[in-house]
Amino acid sequence: MKQLSTIFVLVCLLAIGLFVALQRAHPRVSDRPENAGRSEVVFWHFWGGADRDVVDDVVQRFNASQEQFFVRSIAMPGNNLQAKLFLAIAGGDPPDLVNQDDPIVGDWGWRGIVQPLQDVCSPEELRALDEFLFPAAKQLGSFDETMYAVCNGLDVRALYYNLTALQKHGLQPPRSLEELTEIARIITPPGTLNPETFGYLPDARRLWAWGKVFGGDFFDFETSRVQLTDPAIVAAARWMAGFGNWYGADTINRFRQGDQSLPGKTFPLLPIQDQEVQGRYVMLMDGQWRVRDIDAFIDRRRQQGLAYPEFGVCALPAPAGGRVDAGWVNGNFFLIPKGANNTPGAVAFMKYWIGLGDPEQAAITCAAGGWIPVSEEVVQTNVFQAFLDERPLFREFVRLAGSQNQTPIPVIPGAPMFKREVEKASATAMAKPDQSTEAILQEANTIIQRRLDKLGRRVGQ
Amino acid sequence: MGRLNFRLTKASFDQNLRFLKRHVCRYAGNVVVSLMMKRRNLIGYLFASPWMVGFLLLIAWPFAASIYWSFCQYDLINPPKWVGTENYRRLMQEFREGRGFAVALQNTAYYALLSVPLSIVVGMGLAVALSWRVRGQAFYRTAFYLPAVIPIVATSVLWMWLLDPQDGMVNYLLSWLGVPGQNWLTQSRSAFSVAGLENAAGWAAGKNQLLLFGSKDALVLMSVWAVGNAMIIFLAAMGDVPESLYEAATIDGAGRFRKFWHVTLPLLSPVILFNLVMGLIKSVQTFTSIYILSEGTGQPGESLLVFSLHLFLSAFSDLEMGYASAMAWVTFVILVVCTLLLFRSSKHWVFYSSQ
Repeated sequence: MKQLSTIFVLVCLLAIGLFVALQRAHPRVSDRPENAGRSEVVFWHFWGGADRDVVDDVVQRFNASQEQFFVRSIAMPGNNLQAKLFLAIAGGDPPDLVNQDDPIVGDWGWRGIVQPLQDVCSPEELRALDEFLFPAAKQLGSFDETMYAVCNGLDVRALYYNLTALQKHGLQPPRSLEELTEIARIITPPGTLNPETFGYLPDARRLWAWGKVFGGDFFDFETSRVQLTDPAIVAAARWMAGFGNWYGADTINRFRQGDQSLPGKTFPLLPIQDQEVQGRYVMLMDGQWRVRDIDAFIDRRRQQGLAYPEFGVCALPAPAGGRVDAGWVNGNFFLIPKGANNTPGAVAFMKYWIGLGDPEQAAITCAAGGWIPVSEEVVQTNVFQAFLDERPLFREFVRLAGSQNQTPIPVIPGAPMFKREVEKASATAMAKPDQSTEAILQEANTIIQRRLDKLGRRVGQ
Repeated sequence: MGRLNFRLTKASFDQNLRFLKRHVCRYAGNVVVSLMMKRRNLIGYLFASPWMVGFLLLIAWPFAASIYWSFCQYDLINPPKWVGTENYRRLMQEFREGRGFAVALQNTAYYALLSVPLSIVVGMGLAVALSWRVRGQAFYRTAFYLPAVIPIVATSVLWMWLLDPQDGMVNYLLSWLGVPGQNWLTQSRSAFSVAGLENAAGWAAGKNQLLLFGSKDALVLMSVWAVGNAMIIFLAAMGDVPESLYEAATIDGAGRFRKFWHVTLPLLSPVILFNLVMGLIKSVQTFTSIYILSEGTGQPGESLLVFSLHLFLSAFSDLEMGYASAMAWVTFVILVVCTLLLFRSSKHWVFYSSQ
């Protein structure tokens, strides 16, 4: 009997301990003196390394500016944020705000995983957001004419080039796709077995960008039809597959793997050895974050008293009949999950971050992180203009961010699958240049359409 | 004495009293004993409860729930919606069209068919070598077992460096043998495939470079590196082989190879069966290394899209938990069938020392 009583007491203590621990794990009002009386906003994000410091700084500035809310940011680097979020929502304890960068807005909005902004923002706030954001930023967060996400930073791709290396070959930066192709062919003649440098080499994942540049559209929102067989998309894929034909899929695979093994994943446009003028590529499509790498490289060579090549950035050159300043844009965006407790706090933090009402604050964040602002108002601030003066290569990206021709992957339910299938088809076309590019795209088109139709049918149910 | 007496006499009364006392006491005693037993059981259950609760909540319940979900459209957030056999029909359709599930099945089969036998052969070979009484035996045993205890994430990253086509040590060692560097991890074509054979034929005809090994072969190579667990089991089993059998074989004039072939190998066959079954299950469950090597995509060219990764992506990226559950059940059935076939075949090649 004594034993039983002891066990009973132990179990009770354990249960009480667990209950208290669970309660303490989710304080709705802070128990810290400096946060007394303020309600907590739990913010999940995936940033790590130097970017995490920038995020922590924004959170600190916001918390210091607030009397009503305070943000507790939780970093979940890696790919596990998504699975944790679903389980947290299913378990009834989601965060108040999440950052994401995958093309999931349409999918999550449609499934009710995230709340539409019209449920958590006032009509005035929605109107202000509409006027404030770049077109691409608005597109990234909207599905079915409803806004589900607030973009907090755009990722734009452009063509980096090593001007010194080009001039060494007697060439100038390309102004058209034909020039780009010709430069690639001159620097690395087709059939080169073990090339050390490529003039240009398209990445199979970037059909999303080149398809737009060629003048194509991947999806018709009017008819809800996938358009991978749009002649412009086929032409873009065929042009990319042409490189597979020139050099062979094995050579390209091998070279690309070499990029991954560069120390610290160095930007492969940069020369590795001190005396070299060119790196593994002379021209390369990449995002604005590489400006920081180029500037660091130039600073290092300057400090060592070494000569350094000159680099430039331009929009992706279009073929005749293509689109200028076009490309594929994505970015980071805030989402408020279903069941979030502190939606007013989440909205306040989102507005602070993007600079709605105080663009200078957003400019400080964007300059610190090397991120593209989501609004022209932030771009025009003194802080950001000073940043652009320091890093002139960044200007081209900011200019492109405002272009109507910079569009994201269609924001629709099933977009992650859409993205995956397109990239798979593009990789197949490049790896098997002997196969018909049109047939590969046609097959992918059928698969994607079938899956989207199935989702569409369920939408109506 | 054995029953109640209803005559109204003093003797009858005393007799009845004795009868009742005896039987009531026996009954009460039984009740007390029964209560004590129950209490003991209760204490036993109480001590076992953490495991039982864990088993019921984390294994039995999801196991049962996944059967139901496999007949539903379920995205983790909204309630499951009954769709009948649609998920299973989709699996069949993908199987017919050679994509999705069929690709995962093919990749998993390739990996299992190569890695399991290879691990057994290498594990047994190492066990035999390490059973020889040589100087530093303990060191060698530790050294060969060590990879099995290194965290899989660290192992995967290490292999990504080793298999680097330009600076990796594996290609460097191959170059000593005059073999050109292979496109490990970037080539979807694998050695034992039609395309692989075509490449070899092209190389023999002087048309192309010999680029045989791809990402799946890299995965097989990695699995062989962590062969320590199988090796330890073989070593333990070899210690159980009676010395008298080797003595008898020596008297019969058997050499080292014949002793291994006719004594060691038959007596290790139950352990081979065990490693075969466990290896098969483990190969189907392999996830972490593949997730890291392919950065969670199954690339290059879907060559690393195995069951576990396809299931994970379907459930947590595409939010198709119903489809993922159906796939899990089909995988389970395939595994059960393979295991049964292995057990059935074991009658012909497994020998127990009692036989």
